[in-house]
Amino acid sequence: MDQNKNVLAFVEVVDGKPVNVGLESLTAARTLVEGTDEKVVAVLIGSGLDDAAAKVAASGVDKVVVVDNAAYAAFALDAFTNVLEQLIKKCNPAYVLAGNTPLTKGLLPSLAAAFKSGNVADVMSIKKDGGKIAWATPRFGGTVIASEVIEKSPIQFATIRPGAFEKPATAAKAASIEKESIAVAADALRTKILEAVKEMTEDVNIEDADIIVTGGRGMGTPENFKLVEKLAEVLGGVVGATRPAIEENWAPRSRQVGQSGKIVTPKLYIACGVSGATQHVSGMSSSKYIVAINKDEEAPIFNVANVGIVGDAMKILPVMIEELKKVKAEA
Amino acid sequence: MEILVCIKQVPDDSVEIHLKSDGTPNLDGVTKVANAFDTYALEMATRLKEAVGGEITVVSIGEDSVRDALKNCLAVGAEHAYQITDAAFDGSDSMAKAELLAKAKAKLEKDNGKPFDLIFCGFEATDRASGQTGAQLAAVLNAPLITSLVDISSKDGKIVAKQETDFGYNSIEAATPCVVTVSKPEYDPRYPTIKNKLKAKKMPIGAFAAADLGVDASKVGQGAALTHTVSFSEPAQKEGGVKINEKDQEEGARKLVAMMVEAKAL
Amino acid sequence: MAYLISDEGAELLESVKEFCKNEVQEQCKEYDRSGEWPKAIYDKAIEMQLHSLEVPEEFGGPGLDRVSIAALIEQMAMADAGFATTISASGLGMKPVLIGGNEAQKKRACEIILKGGFGAFGLTEPGAGSDPAAGKTVAVKDGDSYVLNGRKCFITNGGIADFYCVTALTDKSKGVKGMSMFYIEKGTKGLSTGHEEDKMGIRTSNTCDVVMEDCRIPAENLLGEEGKGFGIAMKTLDQARTWMGCVSAGIAQRAMDEAIAYGKQRIQFGKPVLKNQALQFKIADMAIKIETARQMVSYALTLMDKGLPHTKESAIAKCYASDIAMECASEAIQIFGGYGYSREYPVEKLLRDAKIFQIFEGTNEVQRIVVARDTIGRY
Repeated sequence: MDQNKNVLAFVEVVDGKPVNVGLESLTAARTLVEGTDEKVVAVLIGSGLDDAAAKVAASGVDKVVVVDNAAYAAFALDAFTNVLEQLIKKCNPAYVLAGNTPLTKGLLPSLAAAFKSGNVADVMSIKKDGGKIAWATPRFGGTVIASEVIEKSPIQFATIRPGAFEKPATAAKAASIEKESIAVAADALRTKILEAVKEMTEDVNIEDADIIVTGGRGMGTPENFKLVEKLAEVLGGVVGATRPAIEENWAPRSRQVGQSGKIVTPKLYIACGVSGATQHVSGMSSSKYIVAINKDEEAPIFNVANVGIVGDAMKILPVMIEELKKVKAEA
Repeated sequence: MEILVCIKQVPDDSVEIHLKSDGTPNLDGVTKVANAFDTYALEMATRLKEAVGGEITVVSIGEDSVRDALKNCLAVGAEHAYQITDAAFDGSDSMAKAELLAKAKAKLEKDNGKPFDLIFCGFEATDRASGQTGAQLAAVLNAPLITSLVDISSKDGKIVAKQETDFGYNSIEAATPCVVTVSKPEYDPRYPTIKNKLKAKKMPIGAFAAADLGVDASKVGQGAALTHTVSFSEPAQKEGGVKINEKDQEEGARKLVAMMVEAKAL
Repeated sequence: MAYLISDEGAELLESVKEFCKNEVQEQCKEYDRSGEWPKAIYDKAIEMQLHSLEVPEEFGGPGLDRVSIAALIEQMAMADAGFATTISASGLGMKPVLIGGNEAQKKRACEIILKGGFGAFGLTEPGAGSDPAAGKTVAVKDGDSYVLNGRKCFITNGGIADFYCVTALTDKSKGVKGMSMFYIEKGTKGLSTGHEEDKMGIRTSNTCDVVMEDCRIPAENLLGEEGKGFGIAMKTLDQARTWMGCVSAGIAQRAMDEAIAYGKQRIQFGKPVLKNQALQFKIADMAIKIETARQMVSYALTLMDKGLPHTKESAIAKCYASDIAMECASEAIQIFGGYGYSREYPVEKLLRDAKIFQIFEGTNEVQRIVVARDTIGRY
């Protein structure tokens, strides 16, 4: 058999759009093939993928493979695993990448097992060291970074951490799009999605937001948390929350920022009543401009903030809201 | 319902881990605890058992300290506990761990004459957060896999899992045997009652070594691992910026907004 | 340092520590302000069986030695003294039954606790604090019943208990020798709770009047015999006082822990304030007092476990531990400086919590009377 080559990057599509981290994984893929004649092949699986495929084709890839079928409208883990397994067998890639999302987290390890290969999750950066690839991945909630190499494996599997790589610039020339029809045997489908329920009335993905205002345990009560919502509204941003705030039901789970929630990199991040536990900081510290409001002047959140204010969020937020309204009105 | 729950022991995730001078993570004095998501898995399994009957067996790979974690499991819902331990297992990667768990499952099924209907794992561990072992265990067992559960129910030999998604949840049905990985449900794991804790202390915890499981030692452990950590580092510390600490907090807030405007952060 | 406890106790201590850290300490701050009785926290504690530690093994309890239980109660006290008081006062309410009751009565009271109920003990009356003989509550025998009339005050768990052990005079002419002890269950006609105290501290515990108005109870609810009530009450307090010493030591320990944590991170003159020997000595004095109090509690409890006399030791444990809890809380505030006086920081609450331990279950003056009498002897 020929030596495996090329990168196969699985780009997850939600509501007809490639997810950000899926696009970011294409940048990671490009890093791997730089200086070689190897190619980046993006794979999309789903239903009604034309727009998404066009977008991906213009994202600096060499080829887009689209498996477009109504049967794959929902992300059914075993169907997607099976389709990708068939594609991988066909393409013999050296690397298989995907953005690290709750769903790909189940997908890549299964594929790695099928191909008796190593898998690294949540890759923050890639370093080429001679012939070897060193994958940097967080440990212990992000206070330590481990550099890992994959050995004795025909394929190297990795999921890419959201926000770790830039989205690729739009390429002048779009890559070719190939449609593949890949069927999955009925007996390989062992789980059945009975219903997919959207509990959120609004489709907000905080990973896409330019401005995030996050409230933590320090907000104290659901009434106080409304100040966070108000500030977000004034700024045209979205509300984020720490795990304790989520557990108090002040905000839905989809708004959780941190190691066990979303990794976000907005232009402006305002943390209100957030102490700055590692779990949380590792999910927001790459934001461009960070504002922290906390009454404890020793709170670790101040260590990552561009500007911090020591004081009571309940007193400070109303003033900020009024001041920012003025600024917005003047603008 | 016969249930197997896989538990991993991890360094206490409320402690910030940093590197020692030799460049390895400093775990000195950090207590080991059961991985939070595994405790959620056990609680979910226990609730399911309480609803439909059956027994729960917990297994954990590791040195003798895992017996403490297993003992706790016996106090909060599990009936049986086994430690999977052998010097040959040290340094096993997720794939090898999945193999070991599969072997232990097979041995328990053979010894007890009863197959497991459901295998629960946490959807990731707090130390590595890679979420591989559960998925790979499903692959090794060739069993269906459902990830990120926040609830589960069972009826007529099938399970219905509530899978957390970014915008709500999926309701997923599967026949048993099945592997599920558990995220944070709405409920918290129960605390052990005083009496259950005292009872658990007297319950036996079995141990399986390589020979018991019929494991080829060359296929597990450090030597067989497909991934290796070559070095550790710490993330670059972001420099803390300006800190406003005014007596008059409202004045401070106005200053803050002015600085945000100046930095063109809006 | 800590109590020398059994392996079982040590394992339980870990669970209790975790419970207190996650469910009690932070949560009780808010209840300290509102004065609301935190039912949700107590429900969780009951589910974990923390309220039934003192139920004897023969009646379905966990069968722990008293020193191990002390380690657990201390942990609760460190998190919140009011919480520990509620838990411990339930044990207090059960003690008259265990001391003076028959098998059926013991079984009944223990069952109520095991099912998730609390007990309460009623001796004090508006005009009868340190002088219980001045009590006015009476019980009159009427056929197969006793009819009780009177008002008890400052009753810990008074508003939330499932059963009460109260003293009442069955023969007013005999003073304390005419006092008897009765077992009354919640819901008995004529039994009600009155004024609830808005307390300075231990605000997560319930304290109120318990009122009996023509409260008719079956005659078999008499614990022991008529005229034995005062003796049962004194034996009850002899035991219970040590537990209050245990809670006090927990408050003192918390005060020291907070003082050390703050003293290490508070920088003045370019160094942590705890680098000053003057403050180190304060900590040393706290440690000396806390350890001494704890060992006294331990000694009194060991005497109880062995069935040996413990009146004096229990009085010393309670009196000393509550005195030093006040001292440690006060010194902790001193180390915190101005912040210590602020409600935003944890130490002022400790002082408010500690004060009552010098007063209830026999004032520290009464304790000194007990110790003096026992030490000097009758002459």
